[in-house]
Amino acid sequence: MSLRRAGLALLRQQGAPLVESLSATTQQAQGAVREAVEGCSRGVSTLAVKQRMKSVGNIQKITKAMKMVAASKMRSATAATENSRGIVQPFLRMLGDMPDTQGAKAVFVPVTSDKGLCGGINSTVCKYTRATVKAVRDGAAAADSGEAAPEMMLVVMGEKGRAQLQRDMRDNIYGTVADTNKVKITFPEASAIAEELLKTEYDTARILYNRFVSAINQKPTIATVLSPDALERAAAEGGAMDSYELEGPDRPEMLMDLAEFQLAATLYNSMMENNCSEQSSRMSAMENSTKNAGEMLGKLTLTYNRTRQASITTELIEIISGATALAG
Amino acid sequence: MSSSAAASAYWRVAGMTYLKYSNLCADMVRAALKEPAKAKAKAREIIYFRQALWKDGQPQKQVITDTTGGSGGKLS
Repeated sequence: MSLRRAGLALLRQQGAPLVESLSATTQQAQGAVREAVEGCSRGVSTLAVKQRMKSVGNIQKITKAMKMVAASKMRSATAATENSRGIVQPFLRMLGDMPDTQGAKAVFVPVTSDKGLCGGINSTVCKYTRATVKAVRDGAAAADSGEAAPEMMLVVMGEKGRAQLQRDMRDNIYGTVADTNKVKITFPEASAIAEELLKTEYDTARILYNRFVSAINQKPTIATVLSPDALERAAAEGGAMDSYELEGPDRPEMLMDLAEFQLAATLYNSMMENNCSEQSSRMSAMENSTKNAGEMLGKLTLTYNRTRQASITTELIEIISGATALAG
Repeated sequence: MSSSAAASAYWRVAGMTYLKYSNLCADMVRAALKEPAKAKAKAREIIYFRQALWKDGQPQKQVITDTTGGSGGKLS
């Protein structure tokens, strides 16, 4: 980083002439390489291949290192994720999962990563977000309860999801959250984000994330959290909660506390799961690119050796035919 | 708020959410721990994230929530 900055400073000092001369030099160099390749001038042609081999080899080293790092991060993330599952499973048992609940205000929370080079997990979440938003909109239109169309809001977590979703759903974005992974994810952190979500006064909040199944398998998942009112409605319609007897005088208040805690717990778990999926997906993506770089290197080596051998053969033929001509 | 606002918990009257209240309680419990366990538990209460609210399809001012005490961004 400091190197690049130093270079920039130098450019700024020397002004435009240097930039021009630099670009001229690059053009010259590129022209030379092109001539060499097209004219099959031997020495330079092998030089170009040799440079290519070196860069492919370097890339292979980098992807291999990234794979190692992702693998070790995944190992610690797996344990944390499995621990965090214990906090949401009771909620699922008690309240059930009701992804088709309608409400006047629907909030969607796609959980994505901040960094790239991790396979297709972010695109998957964005694709599912678009599909879910459309399904909820269509479902509300089909139900035709005479109410206004539900309001759709997106709270995007992670830089990559923001970059993808702001292209076509810009107007629906209520807010973005990023850098949640910079320090270890904690429950207070999830709670702080959940409180921001509560400010949207949602009826239904749908959290979309990649559930970690195994190191090679991540499943896009929707977790639905209802507001206290929606929870009450769902219970009246015969939700799973009806089989419990609630003690105490403040049923609405208890439901309110429960809904808030459910949101934070679900968010915490989905952030954990997505982080784990990110690392495992990155691990397999980097493994693949290491393999591909290896294959490419093999092909280049073959080309390089073949060209070298061809030139040696040509030289030998020249020498032998010269010698034969002299002798004859 | 519900009909039972009068009987409501004092922290809700003060405008706190359940999450804020329970996290505050958790912080108190962590602060009451003894040393080897205390440092370990302290790591579980740090918060770092940045957020921006959007308006008319444009991000507004970015807000960083950071309770790491300056080490945010260096750890990973």
